[in-house]
Amino acid sequence: MGVIDLVTRVDAICQKYEKYDIDKQKDAINNILPNDAFAGLYTAIESDLNQVVEKSEHLEERSANESEVASAEKNRATAVAMNAEIRRTKARLLQELPKLQRLAFKKVKGVSKDELDARNELVLALKERIEVVPDGATTRTQPTNGLESSSSNGKIKFNSTLDETYDHTYYQHTDETNNFRQEYEMRRLRQDEGLDVIAEGLGTLKNMAQDMQEEVDRQVPLMDEIDDKVERAASDLRSTNVRLKDTVTKLRSSRNFCVDIILLCLILGIAAYLYKYEWNLML
Amino acid sequence: MAGADPEKLIAKADKLSVYILRHCLNLLISPSVTSSTRLGDLSVLVERTKLTLTRWSADWRNATQYYEQAVKPWDAAKHMESAAALAVELSIWNEAADFYRRASELYNECGRSQPASDALAKGARALEDHKPEEAIAMYTDACALLEEDGKENMVFDIYRAITSVYIKLEKYTDAATFLLRWAVAANKCNALHSQCKAYLSAIIVYLYAHDFQEAEKCYNDCCQIDTFLSSDQSHCASKLLSAYREADIEEIQRVAKSSTVSNLDHVIIRLARKLPTGELVAMEINSLEHGAALDEDDLT
Repeated sequence: MGVIDLVTRVDAICQKYEKYDIDKQKDAINNILPNDAFAGLYTAIESDLNQVVEKSEHLEERSANESEVASAEKNRATAVAMNAEIRRTKARLLQELPKLQRLAFKKVKGVSKDELDARNELVLALKERIEVVPDGATTRTQPTNGLESSSSNGKIKFNSTLDETYDHTYYQHTDETNNFRQEYEMRRLRQDEGLDVIAEGLGTLKNMAQDMQEEVDRQVPLMDEIDDKVERAASDLRSTNVRLKDTVTKLRSSRNFCVDIILLCLILGIAAYLYKYEWNLML
Repeated sequence: MAGADPEKLIAKADKLSVYILRHCLNLLISPSVTSSTRLGDLSVLVERTKLTLTRWSADWRNATQYYEQAVKPWDAAKHMESAAALAVELSIWNEAADFYRRASELYNECGRSQPASDALAKGARALEDHKPEEAIAMYTDACALLEEDGKENMVFDIYRAITSVYIKLEKYTDAATFLLRWAVAANKCNALHSQCKAYLSAIIVYLYAHDFQEAEKCYNDCCQIDTFLSSDQSHCASKLLSAYREADIEEIQRVAKSSTVSNLDHVIIRLARKLPTGELVAMEINSLEHGAALDEDDLT
């Protein structure tokens, strides 16, 4: 092992146990200008963010390591709890960020102009870091955001983050899905019942229609017979009428006509006679 | 009571007198003229009244005498029928049967088979309750008359009546036989729906008579006919037979309530509703034995 390795290892160990270095911390605190609220707030937020990132990393490790199904439920529950905590912290930090941003624009003694500009960028970077932390809720939006950004940039990205970010809660049966499935089954049953009723009605209709068809078929030859007979009767009637007409015209022959006239004259004569006779009597 | 009786007696006497009068009238009217001349008269009549090139107006004067001769048996038959109706009212069954038969013979002499069979059917209906065997004989004769003449359309009602009488008399094999004859008649006049219904009714009657083998045989025979094989009725029958084989009472009752069975004649529906008659378990064993016997034969 060379010297360089030693040096890097020592540096890593110092970094790990920095928080126990009271002197260093005191220096850090003393270095901060008393009126620099931005720096104070910034360090506070950064430390919180680091904690959150640690927690999320720890969660990922555990999910990657677990293999048993029996412990899966418990782990899932703890994972859910931790995700909720991470989410809460993220929300809190995001809320404090606007305050930090405002402070960033304030002029402070002892801070150079370049540093002031840099501070704004620091705030934005912090915001991004906070949002990037995985908390089991924003997994779906991330790939789409990535896609959108890629389309806007014109780059094609294959989002392999999809597989990793879908955790167990995504495939679980929640109450909503159960209710939906139940409703679906109920509606299907009701549809089946309705279709059964329709089928029975159609069966009855079919039977009745077939019976009607046979009845009508039975009546067709009868109708033909009736047709024939009525035609024959009609022709008979027509001929009878014609003959009757002939007979009547024959009846009104000259002989009968003369007899009628003679009788008529006779009656008129009698009437005239009576009239004359009465007239004479009356007068 | 004293007042009612004499009135009733007088009414009865009136009817009897009319009946006797009619009887005598019929004896007078239906002379001993052979049927061949009657039919000959009619054809001559048709010739005489038809208009041809030589005859420009119907020769009514000559035709009237033939008309008179032809109309005699028709009138006689009508009188016979009314006499028979009176006899039915007076409950003189033998005489009634005789009169109806004579009336149908007279109608036949006129060459009209439809009224002849109608007369027989009327007589049979009147005698159903009191002399069922006589009634069945008359119904069968009526069917024969119509079938000879090729008017199978009209026989359906007669067959229905025959089956109902047989079922009332509880002669189920005869009823089933007539149902099969009905199916034959339906087939001749192309009434396929009625044919399938007749087959299904026959199977149900056999099952009601608790004769599973006969029912199965009947079903197999009927399945030779294509129209039955592809009909709803055959599905229904196969369901019923399989339910019987598995001795499933609920399934039998469900099939009996189905719309196919409810479209049959009401007598058959009543039988179907009462269906599982007797024990069902025995059926399974019988069919198994039957199957085993066949296997043995095949092996040898």
